[in-house]
Amino acid sequence: MVCSIKSPAQRRYMIRMWIMVALCVLLSVVAALVFRLCHPHDPHGVLSYLVAVLPALPVIGALIYTGVYLAEEKDEFQRYLLVQSLLGGTGGILAVLTAWGNMEDIANAPHMDLIYVYPLFWIFAGISNVIVKVKYR
Amino acid sequence: MSCTNNNPAARRYCKRLAVTLLIYALSLVLAIGIFLRCHPTGILAYALAVLPALPLIGLLAIFGLYLAEEKDEFQRFIGVQSMLWGIGGTLAVTTVWGFLESFVHIRHLNPSLDSVIFWIFVGISIPLLLARYR
Repeated sequence: MVCSIKSPAQRRYMIRMWIMVALCVLLSVVAALVFRLCHPHDPHGVLSYLVAVLPALPVIGALIYTGVYLAEEKDEFQRYLLVQSLLGGTGGILAVLTAWGNMEDIANAPHMDLIYVYPLFWIFAGISNVIVKVKYR
Repeated sequence: MSCTNNNPAARRYCKRLAVTLLIYALSLVLAIGIFLRCHPTGILAYALAVLPALPLIGLLAIFGLYLAEEKDEFQRFIGVQSMLWGIGGTLAVTTVWGFLESFVHIRHLNPSLDSVIFWIFVGISIPLLLARYR
């Protein structure tokens, strides 16, 4: 799949994203195992916080690599498409979070796990990518 | 972007912003007032709770309108870049907080605060971007 991509910037982006996905899964498993097997004596100690944050680092890496891709991409149209998709994703995720937050606050809706925010953002970005592509076909 | 300059798109944005914030304040007071007096439940409660969220979602829409109406390409570029930095910062904070919530059981962060975090990051990134491209 990665080999069929002609743009070098897109190829690099895909490779980096897959590495970040693999790291995120790996570090999530490591963090879960550490908390399950080691039962840290102080669950609010610095070490516990550091282990808990580990799986978030590849996610931050993926965000940085998205910015790097935008800087490296030579094709202005492709860059425009991604920026539009990201803005669509931003609008979608912030709309859902604001509405859900108010429902949590005022109507006692169940808590939304914040881990789902990042994948939900990419779902919205993916939907807006399809819409933008159809618009400019 | 300044509300006092001669840029018509920026002036329209500021007017819309003021109206939207006023609607937000009114809808928040209305929703809380009804909840305190009538204690609604079910779908009505959810619909009422979403009411103050609509103007906040509107803030994004009017910023999008500003970007569409802005004639100055540099200002539009700064606006888009600041939004990208805003969502990047928000997603980074939210993801770290989410993992801390899951593993270390820290206090739950209300999702509606994410839009506040987003606008803070946007606000920080605008002067930095302007300084960078000066």
